[in-house]
Order: sequence, then structure tokens, then C-alpha cells
Amino acid sequence: MSLDEKSVAAVASRFGNVPKDAPGAEFDERAVRRMQRGVKVRTWLPYYLMLAPGVLYFLVFHYYPIYLAKLAFEDFRIFGDNLWVGLKHFGVLFGSPVFYQVLANTLIISGMKILFVFPVPIVVALFINEVRNSNLRRFIQSAIYLPHFLSWVVIAGIFIAALSPSSGVVNEITGWFGLAPKGFMTDSGSIRWVVVFSEMWRSAGWDSLLYFAAIMAIDPQLYDAAEMDGANRWHKIWHVTLPGIAPTIATLFILNVGLFMNAGFDQIINLSNDAIRDQIDIIDTYVYRIGLQSGQFSLATAAGLFKGVIGMALIVAAHTISKRLTGKGVW
Amino acid sequence: MLAKTLMASVAVLALGAGTALAQPVTIRVVSKDLVTTNPDDIAHIERIEEAMAAQGTEIDIEIVDLPSAGYQDKLALMLLSGDIPDLIYFQGGDEQFANQGLFEDWRPWIEDTEYLKDALWPHNGDRLDNYPYLLYVFPARTKSPVMREDWLAQTGLERPQTLEEWTEMMRVLAASDYDGNGEEDTYGIIAPDNTAELDAVFNQAFGVATTWMQNADGEWIHSRVSDAERDKLAYYQMLFAEGLLDPEFITSNWEVKEDKFYTGKVGIVMGTAGTVVDIYRTKMQQVNDGAELVLLDPPAGVGQGLEAVDVSKESRGFALSALSENKEEVVALMDFLASPEGQMFERMGFEGEHYTDNGGTYEITEAMGTWYPRFMIAQPGAWQPPVDLLSPVAQASLEQGAHYFTPDNAFVWPAEYAADVDAAENYYRTSVYRFVSGEWSMDQWDQYVQGWYDAGGQRLTEHARTVLP
Repeated sequence: MSLDEKSVAAVASRFGNVPKDAPGAEFDERAVRRMQRGVKVRTWLPYYLMLAPGVLYFLVFHYYPIYLAKLAFEDFRIFGDNLWVGLKHFGVLFGSPVFYQVLANTLIISGMKILFVFPVPIVVALFINEVRNSNLRRFIQSAIYLPHFLSWVVIAGIFIAALSPSSGVVNEITGWFGLAPKGFMTDSGSIRWVVVFSEMWRSAGWDSLLYFAAIMAIDPQLYDAAEMDGANRWHKIWHVTLPGIAPTIATLFILNVGLFMNAGFDQIINLSNDAIRDQIDIIDTYVYRIGLQSGQFSLATAAGLFKGVIGMALIVAAHTISKRLTGKGVW
Repeated sequence: MLAKTLMASVAVLALGAGTALAQPVTIRVVSKDLVTTNPDDIAHIERIEEAMAAQGTEIDIEIVDLPSAGYQDKLALMLLSGDIPDLIYFQGGDEQFANQGLFEDWRPWIEDTEYLKDALWPHNGDRLDNYPYLLYVFPARTKSPVMREDWLAQTGLERPQTLEEWTEMMRVLAASDYDGNGEEDTYGIIAPDNTAELDAVFNQAFGVATTWMQNADGEWIHSRVSDAERDKLAYYQMLFAEGLLDPEFITSNWEVKEDKFYTGKVGIVMGTAGTVVDIYRTKMQQVNDGAELVLLDPPAGVGQGLEAVDVSKESRGFALSALSENKEEVVALMDFLASPEGQMFERMGFEGEHYTDNGGTYEITEAMGTWYPRFMIAQPGAWQPPVDLLSPVAQASLEQGAHYFTPDNAFVWPAEYAADVDAAENYYRTSVYRFVSGEWSMDQWDQYVQGWYDAGGQRLTEHARTVLP
């Protein structure tokens, strides 16, 4: 009996239309699997093809760079092979007079963003959900999504103008209450709050989309049941809506923690100035200056790798804690 | 006879075929603001190729397109990927490549040129001696202070010469209403982003003569921790406190600076000598019909002059790739551009569009405002345009830069000092604002000096003492 005949017989025996004791019907698990795989691939081929560009993108731009991160342990050479130097660049990095200040700034700004910016889209989504007039709701949604489409260059210009001590609208308003004009953009005590507020202003509306979509997916019968039990609006938010979007909140929180070390390069570089650079200089801006502008590519890679390892540790920790507390995680 | 004729014909045909088959050498050039989407760039390159071909050098110049925005970063990535053109324009970030031997030393090549060696400016020679990999044949980028001529007349003061006269001038400007808003709130002076443009004019007046100075014990110290620097910052602090210096200078970029100048919110600005001063004048006249600018002299104090010119290396310029297989042709291109014909192309633009020639009488057109030299401006002793290309005030600013030219003693830092240079620079810039704005009192000077040494300044000073004589 040829291999094909054997396989067919095996399949037939597996699916039960051939007596098990028929000649050649001995069970061949591997052949069955092979055929099933072939059928599956043929069935799903168009989808695999559609998936291919995405997979390729991740391989080229996300996985290949992980391999290239070995540059952190090498001296970059244009001609010939790079020279292996071990931890030399990490030594330079950690020995830099400003590295710990830059690291502290990154942690503080990221912490402030998690603490003050992360909850805002949830609140916004809850509020939008409570607006009963659909026209008003659409208008509010459009208005708060808009800042997301502005670049940080434009936003920085808006904030510098609005916060100007001589002609800014904010100081004009505070002036009505007898307060002296303040240079928020040059004040070391204010600038981190400017960073947090500008991030909130830009992203709160757009980020609320995911939560709003999660709210829409909650079974309306739950609200009906709650109403029958005498729940008011607040009760329904607290006992139905929030638990309904808890998995989304948990997932996004873990993902945000994973991006903890990305304190916002575009934002910082545009809002920064010499007066307050020591307050908001983050790892990304430092890497840009030292690495790209000064051509210290290995040093920049070492800083990037350090940031990546911390980010990885944070995401694993957040996932583990979330799993234990809520049973939800990202994998 | 027939045989001879046949042989001659074959020889002629062979020669013709040989000529027809000869391919011009391709030179790849990457430069900021030199792109294939600009018709002027294409036409300029084509006429250079034609003119050089007529002189017997057949080259095909291939422009490598790179966007102007983020040029430095994109260029570095392109070179790292192994795409290395023959002629490369840098605007920083070149040292890492030079350290790995990617560039030719320009000096032996320049020595053999006919025109290029004479086209160099004095600072070019100094910089090439210190760092022979970048060539930027343009006037030194000194900064000159300018103000509106009619505003100067309205102050009733002469052009200020001393530090006291400068202060008085700024006080009068600050008590004026040149923006016409009904309030006397014009600022005397502005410097965008930081105090660098103020330093360009005031450094010498306070004795900040060079980057490295010798203290009373004869030891080299950085000027940023010198007594002269302290006196200068105390002066800036006074300007800020009295409202003579725009208090929002730190958040004002160059566009805001220009806007405040043209709209009368600020009286005095500094512009790069030559073309940039000319642009300020043109824009001022567009906004205020007939307004003319006047050049101011730097104030006399401990010394008088413009900030010392860094000759440690060109901060920007063209590098010749050591990997190029056509180095001779690249140098021939640069030599042609330095020749009278090349300078005519570079400086004057296109006849009929940027200038007219009526039997040897040249006149520039309005379109000249959009033309700029792509590769070089030869020093005046080598070539002079047949008609004045710059306004009198812009020309005077160039002469001012040449008059006050003082070479600085700054030097190129080895790569391992990059983190210290960055840390010390940022500490200085932040501290300067805190002093100027009054957040820090001048009594905290010693504290600042210690902070600067802690922020990498100590290592830098120790290295400088091994480099400087």
C-alpha cells in the first residue's frame, strides 16, 4: 500500500466510516495531522496573506532591532565588524553627571502621567455615556477628540502663547483674582504640571474612545435589572458600568505601565527650554542629544536597552499583580 | 591612396565611437536644501555640468534627496546604512564618522587646486588645520546688532559705543511705543532661546575674550566660571529686571524674535552677518515701507569686539568621502565653483531671472531675494560680484565681522567627553536663566561654579589643561 493510500485509510478510520480492522486502516496520527494542517492552511491562506505584512512589520521593526541592541555592548564601526567592549557604554551612561537626574525626571513624569492622566479618559467616557442628548454627545466627542490630531509642535506653541506671563490668557484670568503673572513655562515648580496637563488635554478625548466602546458592549439588560432594583445613575455607574469596563481598564493600565519609561519625547522636546531643562529632561531626549546629535550610537543604544529592560520588567510585574488581583492580564 | 583613406576613416569612426561611449563620471552629492524637487537646484546643477564639460571635465552630478527637517539625523542614518555619497554636507554629527576615517583630509587636495585655495576665508584655514575634514567656504557666521534707522533718530541718541551708552539706548527704547499699542512697552533687546546672541555682542565688553581663560594663577579655566562671566550675567540680570531685555526671550525662537522686531515690540536684534542681516532688512521693509536698518557697534568695556570665533572646526560644511572613487572629480567640482565662472553661477543666480546684464551693466532683480549660493562664497580677494549683492547694512555687517575677527581657543572634544560636555552645557544654560531672571542672586555665584564643576566641568577642565599650552 502506498503512503497516500495508507493516509486515506487512516483518515477514514479516524472519522469512523471504515471499520477499524479493515486492511490499511491502522491509525496514523501524524498523517492525519499533516492533512488537517494542509486543509487548514488552504482554507485560511487569504487571511495568512493579509496577516503577512503585519507580521513582517513586527519582525523587521520590533524583533530585528532586539538583535541589533547588541550594539550597546560594541563600539560601532562603519568599516568592518563592530568591536566588542562589554559594559563600557553602560559605565559611561551610569557615570554621566546627569544620568540619574534624567532617570528621576523620567520616573517622576511617567508616574505623574499614570496617576493624573490615565484615569481621565475613563471619567470622560463615563460622563459622555451619561449625556442623553445625542447631538450634544456627538459635539462633545468631536471637540475633545480634536487635540489628538494636533502635533506637539502646534500644541507647544498654543501652550507657550496661552501661558505667556505678558499676554497669555491664563495669566489674564489669574490676574482677575489679583494674582501676579507667572511664567509657567520657565518655572521649575510648574513645568511638570504643564507637561501633565498638556498630555491630558491632548489625549483624554481620544483615549476615552476605547472605554466608550467597552461601555457600549455592556449588556443593557444589566442596567434594566439595576433600575428595577432601584439603582440611580450613580449606582449604575459604580455597580454596572465600571465593573463592565474593568477588563479594558486593567489591560490598558498594564500596557501603560509597560510604556512607563516613554515619558513623551515629542512632547518634552517641544515644551523644553533652557530655564527648566533640568526638570523635564528625560531618557529619550537625553538619548537623542547624546546619541543622534553627537553621533554616539552605541551609548544611545545602551540607554535605549536600559529603558527597554526596565519597561519589560514593569510590564511583567504589572501583569502578574493584575492576574493575582483581578484574574485579568495581557496574556 | 584608397587604403590610406579607408584607414583614416576607420580611425575617425573608432575615435568617434570611443567618444560616444565615454560616460561622464557620476558624483553623488547630499546637501541640505539641495533637492531634485527644486527647479532652481536642477537648473543650477545642469549648468555646472555643462560648464565643466566645456572645460573638459565630464561629470554627472547626482543629487541625493534628504528632507531639510531633521537633516542631521536622517543623514547619519543614511551613512550608517552604508549609503555614502561622494560629497556630503554636514550640519553637525560629523565627528563620529571622521574618527573612523570616513573623510578625506581636504588640505592636500586644496593645495593642488587653481581657484579653491585662494577662495578660502582666514577662518577656513585655521579650522582646516584643526579639523581637516569639513570645508565651508563662507564668511564667518558672526552676529551683528542692528536696529531701525528711524528709531535710532527718534531716540535722539548717537549710535552707542560704550556699555553705558548701550544701556541708555535700551532704556530709551524700552520707554517707547514702536508697536503703536498705546503703551510704552517696547523691549530694548531680545535673544532667542538663550543668551548666546547677547554673548555675541557683550562678551568682549566684560572681558570674556575666549572660551578658555587663564586665572590669576595662570591656570586654564572655562570662561563660564570666570569673574568676567559673573559680571556679564549681573549685567544681563539688570537688563531683565529693568525690562530692557525681553523677559520671554527663553521661550522665543528665531521666528518670534524676528516677528517682535518687525512689529516694533523689540528695538535691537542680532543677525548673522551678511545674508541674514539682508533678509531682516528686506522683511522689515515689507512690513514697514521704507524702513532702513542701521548697524550698531559692539559696546566698549573691558574690551570691545564681537565674540571670539570658534576655529576648532567648521560647525557645518562639506566632507569628501574617503570611499569615493571619484575624488579628483569632486575636487574639480569644488575648484570650478570657486572659479570666476562658478562664483558667477553661485552668487548671481540665473541671468534674466535673478539679474540682468545690459552690455556689462548688471542689475539684480527682486527674484534675487530667493537665490542663495549652494556651495560657497569665495573671499572678496578671490572674486567680487559685478554688482553689489548685499544692502549697505548687510555689507557693513560682514566688514564688522572681519574687523573684529578674533580666533577662539576652543577645541574639539574627544568622544568620551560627550556626556560631560552635554551635562556642563545644560547646567550652564539653566543656571544662566536663573541668574538673569533673578531666581538666583549673584551671591550664589560660588555655588553655581561648584555645580558646574560637578556637572562634568571638572573633567573638561582637567582635559583642557592637557591640551592648551
